[in-house]
Amino acid sequence: MTVLLDVQDLTVQFALPRQGLFGPRPVLEAVRQVSFTLEQGRALGIVGESGSGKTTAAMATIRLVEAASGKVIFQGEDLLQLDAEAMRQRRRDVQLIFQDPYSSLNPRARVADIVREPMDLMEIGTPEERRARVTELFRLVGLRPDQLSLFPHQFSGGQRQRISIARALTTNPKLLVCDEPVSALDVAIQAQILNLLARLKTELGLSYLFISHDLGVVRHVCDDVAVMYLGKIVEMAPREALFDAPQHPYTQALLSAAPSLARRKSRGYVRPVKISGDPPSPINPPKGCAFAERCPKAQEVCRRVQPVLEPRGPTQVACHFPG
Amino acid sequence: MTEAVDFKPESPAREAWRMFRRNIPALAGVVVLTIIVAATLWGTFFYDGNPYRIVWAPHEAPGMTPDFPLGTDYLGRDIFAGLIAGGGPTLAVGAAAAAITMVIGVSLGALAGFYGGWIDNLLMRITEFFQVLPTLLFAMVLVTLFSPTLTTIALAIGIVSWPQTARLTRAEVMKIKELEYVTAARAIGARNRRIIWTVILPNAAPPLIVSATLTIGVAILFEAGLSFLGLGDPNTMSWGLMIGTNRAYILEAWWPVTFPGLAIFLTVFSVSLIGDGLNDAFNPKLRER
Amino acid sequence: MSALLEIQNLRVTFNTRHGPVTALDSVSLQVNAGETLGVVGESGCGKSITALSVMGLIPSPPGRIAGGAIRLAGEDLTRVSEARMRALRGAEMAMIFQEPMTSLNPVFTVGDQIAEAIMLHQKVGHAQAFRDAVALLDRVGIPSPERRARDYPHQLSGGMRQRVMIAMAVSCRPKVLIADEPTTALDVTVQAQIFDLLNEIQRDFGAAIILITHDMGAISEMADRVAVMYAGRVIEQASADDVLDHPQHPYTRGLISCIPALGKGDTELREIPGVVPPLHMLGAGCAFAERCAHRFDRCDTEKPSLVDHGHHPAACHAVEEGRI
Repeated sequence: MTVLLDVQDLTVQFALPRQGLFGPRPVLEAVRQVSFTLEQGRALGIVGESGSGKTTAAMATIRLVEAASGKVIFQGEDLLQLDAEAMRQRRRDVQLIFQDPYSSLNPRARVADIVREPMDLMEIGTPEERRARVTELFRLVGLRPDQLSLFPHQFSGGQRQRISIARALTTNPKLLVCDEPVSALDVAIQAQILNLLARLKTELGLSYLFISHDLGVVRHVCDDVAVMYLGKIVEMAPREALFDAPQHPYTQALLSAAPSLARRKSRGYVRPVKISGDPPSPINPPKGCAFAERCPKAQEVCRRVQPVLEPRGPTQVACHFPG
Repeated sequence: MTEAVDFKPESPAREAWRMFRRNIPALAGVVVLTIIVAATLWGTFFYDGNPYRIVWAPHEAPGMTPDFPLGTDYLGRDIFAGLIAGGGPTLAVGAAAAAITMVIGVSLGALAGFYGGWIDNLLMRITEFFQVLPTLLFAMVLVTLFSPTLTTIALAIGIVSWPQTARLTRAEVMKIKELEYVTAARAIGARNRRIIWTVILPNAAPPLIVSATLTIGVAILFEAGLSFLGLGDPNTMSWGLMIGTNRAYILEAWWPVTFPGLAIFLTVFSVSLIGDGLNDAFNPKLRER
Repeated sequence: MSALLEIQNLRVTFNTRHGPVTALDSVSLQVNAGETLGVVGESGCGKSITALSVMGLIPSPPGRIAGGAIRLAGEDLTRVSEARMRALRGAEMAMIFQEPMTSLNPVFTVGDQIAEAIMLHQKVGHAQAFRDAVALLDRVGIPSPERRARDYPHQLSGGMRQRVMIAMAVSCRPKVLIADEPTTALDVTVQAQIFDLLNEIQRDFGAAIILITHDMGAISEMADRVAVMYAGRVIEQASADDVLDHPQHPYTRGLISCIPALGKGDTELREIPGVVPPLHMLGAGCAFAERCAHRFDRCDTEKPSLVDHGHHPAACHAVEEGRI
């Protein structure tokens, strides 16, 4: 297997508004030294709750958010070192699908133009070739070519997401970043889009960086899963290992919090792992383990020393008391 | 099976027009404005009269002489001819001032909103500087410094009215640039200029179009105000000038002031009806009704 | 025993630019005290309209209750005066909304807002009401409630705000609590806390809960009985175990099998093709026919009614004729 993407110590900081007229500018570290690799043809899921930095990490990987430090080696080349024009050219290989199919398509453009635009920008093919490619893409994602001249608002949410996928595939990318691609859709439509993404992955040999808060969705699409909490990866493992033997207490809590058909009120279910409270603020992250104050297993050492990712079987986990 | 589409293809502009057509006041505005514009453009073909020449006794009341249906002013000039001749310059100043306002306002607002940071800070301080100037006084200074021709007047009005447009544009651009389709354009490698021109501004257009129509109305009133104060172009007939020159005699004769006043009122009123209609037509929430 | 809340053949219409459409069509539901009824369906199926109808909050115009009855302890809510409805709302029945931020007034402290809700229905002074509010905040699991009661909504996290909403909703011990997608805006771990809290509250107060949701997992954890809605009609209704373990209607079967479950791997998800038809385009037949694998000629001509065909009530011709 060839490594397509190798992200090393990626850190993203946001400057917050100054406190007072001449006060210091507090810095929020949204992503803290995140490292992962993605092999050609595989899908890596990044799971986390809001504020975990999962979307920011993915956006920084493809330079839609500026990273403070780190490396993003894509096909042997550090994307963070490229100048603006070189990065613009690279964009044909890294594409993006958004969460909200209602706001990710320009409402004033016809969908054929939306899908063709990447080819116009990259100056790929003749006008006839571009038109043919748009029709081909429409068929590929399950839309009818007679819908090409419509506007986005004339499609349902699921169809818009198909258009978004068609646009992302226009330039034959190698990496597709999917940012919560089904969380805005109804369950029945979710299944349609997830099946489409699974089919495209096999047929076109695509690699996915798949952001989601929904473990069920991630389990369905991804080969490997990274769990993020407060800007850091706390556990990363192949799918089966993560779901069958979660090592980090946070992963265990996530798995037991996700609503499941297996837990019935009639049978008096009890959540195996319960955690209280909300994630802490990323403005002043705790000194030790970020999860310590919600963790049922937390000891004194957890509040003092930040755990680092260490291998444990097939899994990498950042916890003083894993398992 | 593919998902069914239950609408006919309709572009946003066409949809807006469908909404606009159903708006009776706005349609009335279009009709009235069309009549006014047509009268100023081609009125001389049907009504032959020189608005500058003294043709009759001063202060002839309207309806007394069939030759001068709206009467004469303090010098004995034909008021109806004045209305027809003065319409063109009045409307032209309004349109030109609105165009200047839009060009300055939209470009500065778009730059400030899109780039943010120090560019935004700088441009907004400039905007605030112009905004705190007393507009009428500042326009009067400009017109007095340079000769009071129609061009200077249009420029003066444009220079004092753009800050509002700039603020509106900036707010719209800032709102739209956060939307995902703008990120989507960046993700496929579009350059900033292309994003501003082909993605953001077309989507910001509806409120700007509405604001432009309203600016025309304001500019016409502004021109009338300047003329009323005696700062209009004395060599070109305009409705404001007619009011300005006749205002001293308003107690003796109401008609030389009232008819151009009425013309201004009708024009501005119909323009703002159209503006309101456009506002509603571009508002997607109202479309669902 | 007659149910605490009983909706009978409720019909709600809306005037739209496509003419009048029927948003709810002969909807019948019952909830008993101490029981949770889960109402599940995709967006546009009418589940939220059902909730708003019970609360008397249908925007009118364009909406209108065109027929049927809603009986709360025997009293028909479709016939009472607006004044009576106001007295019932908050006291006898309360609602928790999806977005806790927009349902709380940003310029008052949360303690004052709960106290206000208490004083609206009970003859107590502000000091007493505020003390009750603090006790309620404690009850819904907000740490240091005296201090939090003096906070404004924006100072609280999303999960805390939803807890405040629940405290406010249960402040007058309502008989019926309607929760309309109460956790959609919240994170998974917080959602689990809210679900657990609602179940506890029900045990303590004995309230009937109507949980509106699109999530079959939530139904499984929360509901005693389930009503599945599609295009303004109830298409299946039974105990949660019956519906989840032996779904009858093809739509219910689809909804359950299209969830990417935690316990399953790579298998292709079963999809329900197509989308929910717009309400103004419903024909004479079954609204689900377009998307249904078991469709036959009768489905296009005759609307199926909710009848028990052996296992439990389902509105489907194919089930009736034993085709599935």
